[in-house]
Amino acid sequence: MSRLNASERVTRLLAVIPWVASQPGVHLDEIAERFGYPRTHLEADLLEAVQFVGVYPFTPDTMIEVTLDDDRVWIHYADWFAKPLRLTAEQAMALLAAGESVLALSGDENGPLLGGLTKLGAALGVDKGLDIRLGSAPEETLDLLRTAVTDHRVVELDYYTFGRDERTHRSIEPVRFFADEGKWYVSAHCRLADDERVFRVDRIVDATLLDETFEPRGEGGIHVFTARDDDPRVTLEVTADAGWVVQQYPNEGVEELANGGFRVTLAVAAVPWLERLLVRLGSDGKIVDHDPSIPADLVRATAARVLTRYQAGQ
Amino acid sequence: MSKLERLMNLLAALLHTSVPMTAEQLRVRIEGYPDAGPSFRRSFERDKDDLRSMGIPIRVELVPGTDPPTDGYRIDPKEYAGSDPQLDPDELAALHLATNLVRLDGVQGDQALVRVGGLVGDTGAGDATNSERPLAALPTDTNLGPLFDAVRTQKSVGFTYNDTARTLDPYKLSFLRGHWYLIGFDHVREDERQFRVDRIDGVVEPLGNATTVRPDGPSNDRAESWELGDEEPIVARILVDGDQAGWAKHYLGRDAVVADHDDGSAEFELTVRNREAFRSFVLTFLEHAELLAPPELRDDLVDWLTELHAGAAS
Repeated sequence: MSRLNASERVTRLLAVIPWVASQPGVHLDEIAERFGYPRTHLEADLLEAVQFVGVYPFTPDTMIEVTLDDDRVWIHYADWFAKPLRLTAEQAMALLAAGESVLALSGDENGPLLGGLTKLGAALGVDKGLDIRLGSAPEETLDLLRTAVTDHRVVELDYYTFGRDERTHRSIEPVRFFADEGKWYVSAHCRLADDERVFRVDRIVDATLLDETFEPRGEGGIHVFTARDDDPRVTLEVTADAGWVVQQYPNEGVEELANGGFRVTLAVAAVPWLERLLVRLGSDGKIVDHDPSIPADLVRATAARVLTRYQAGQ
Repeated sequence: MSKLERLMNLLAALLHTSVPMTAEQLRVRIEGYPDAGPSFRRSFERDKDDLRSMGIPIRVELVPGTDPPTDGYRIDPKEYAGSDPQLDPDELAALHLATNLVRLDGVQGDQALVRVGGLVGDTGAGDATNSERPLAALPTDTNLGPLFDAVRTQKSVGFTYNDTARTLDPYKLSFLRGHWYLIGFDHVREDERQFRVDRIDGVVEPLGNATTVRPDGPSNDRAESWELGDEEPIVARILVDGDQAGWAKHYLGRDAVVADHDDGSAEFELTVRNREAFRSFVLTFLEHAELLAPPELRDDLVDWLTELHAGAAS
C-alpha cells in the first residue's frame, strides 16, 4: 500500500480513535483492515502521534492515553474525538448513489443493502432527495445479460446497429457489463465480427440466453467507440453553438476558430452516423475536408431522403 | 514534532474550546508552529485548509472583547460529528461492495465508509467475475456537494442558468441519461423546473430556508433535452417505424405511446418545451420517423430540411 500523507492519516485516525475507544481492546490487524490503514503506519502513528495529542497545558490528564499490549490497542480520554467526523456532502452522495444504483439492479427488497441505505438516509436527513438511474434498458434484458456474463453463457442477439442504421442477428460471448453516460453496455466477443465489440443494451431488439458456455477470451473493453485506422475521416467546421460535437464524440484533433467555433476531425465508422450529425447541425456545421469515400453532398442527399417522408401523399 | 501530531492537536484545541481562539492563542498552545510572523501565518492557513478539505467545519467568529475586533476559530462538536447510522456488519459489507461497483468521481468510497463504521466484508476484489467489476463511475461537479446539502437541509439556492438568475427551492438531485439534474421550485417562474447541474453558471449561492416543500408522489423528472426549456409547452406526435419502435417505446416510456400499428410502427405523444432540441431528436431517426403534428412543428422540420437540401447544394 502506498504511503499516506498527513491529511490521509488524520482522516483515518478520526475514524479509528472513536471506534477503538468504544471497544475493549482491539487487535492492530483488525483496525488496519477495517480502516484501510497499513499496520506499520497505524502502529507508528498511534505511538508517535496520537499519544501526544491533547489540549493545553498537555498534562497527562489533558492528553489521549494509548495503551498497546501484545498487539492489542486501548484508547482512553479521547473525548474530543468520541464520535467520527461526519461525511462530506460528496461522500454522503457517493455512498447513497452507489447503494441505490446497486439496489435497483439486484432488487433485493429486504436485504442488508436496503437496511443500510435506510439507516444512512435517516442519519443524513435525506428522504428521496437523490435519484440515480445508471442507464435505461428493459430489466429482463439486463438480467439476462448479467447472468450470461456471470455464467459465461452465449447470447443470441437481434441488434439494431445505430451507427450503420441496420438490424443484425448475431451470437455473442458477453464478458463485461457496465454503464457509461446514462447507458448500459455489454462488451463481448462477437462471433459475427469475430472480434471484440461493445453493445448498447437499449439497442438490443431481442436477446436469447443459450445453454452453450464459452471460455472468456479477455476482460472485455469499456471503450464504447474505438476508431479504426481504415475508418474514413471527415473534418467539420462547427459554430460555437455546436461546441457539444467536440465534447460528445472522440475526435482526432480540434482547432478553435476565430469566430468561437471549432474545426474538428472525426473518424466515421458508419456513414449514417455522419448523416444524422449533419442534418441535426444544419447551418451550424459543414464539411470542410473529407475522405473520398464520403459523398460531398451527403447532407443534401440525406435531407432529400428524409423529406420524401413528408412529401409522400401530399 | 510531526505535521500529523500538530494537526491532531489543532483539532483537539478547536473542538475543546467553547469560545473562538485567535491564531496567536493557538500558536502558543500548540507545539510545532514557527514563531509569530508570516511563516507561522502560512503554516496555520495551510493547516486550516487541510482540515477544511477533509470536511471539518471550522467556524470563524469574532473573539468577544477584542479591540480591534479579532477573528477567532473553533469547531462546534455538533457540526463536527455526524449522526451515527448504527450500521450492522452485513449492512456495512453491502455498502462496501456497492461502493466498489459504483463510484462518484473524486470521492474515495473507502474514505466515506470509514466514517460510518469501516470497511467490512470481502468485496471480491481480485475476483474476475463480472459481478464484482466496477459498473459505473458517476461524474461530479463542484456544485454537487453544496446542492446536496441544500436539498438535505431544505435551503433555497441562487444561481445563474441560461443567463438568467434563478432562486430555487431544491427538491431532488437526479442522475439521469448520464447527467446530474436539479429539480425544484423555481421562484422566478413560479413552477417546478429542472436544470442540468453541469450547465449552471459559476457557483451556487446558499440562501435562506426553502419556503415550499416537495410535493408527495413522483416528481416529473424526465430529463429529455426537448423538455428542458422555457418555451410554451406544445404536444407533438411522432410516428416511429417498426425497427426502431421497440427502442423508442423503452426510451420514451409506454405512457408516451398513443397508437400501435400492425406493421410494428408506433405513434408517440410528447410534450415539448424546447423546439430546437425536439427537432434534433426527431432527426436522429433519419427517415425512420415522421413528425405528424402539430403543423407548426412539422412545417418547421420540413423548412429545416428543405433549406439543408437547397443550401448545401451551393
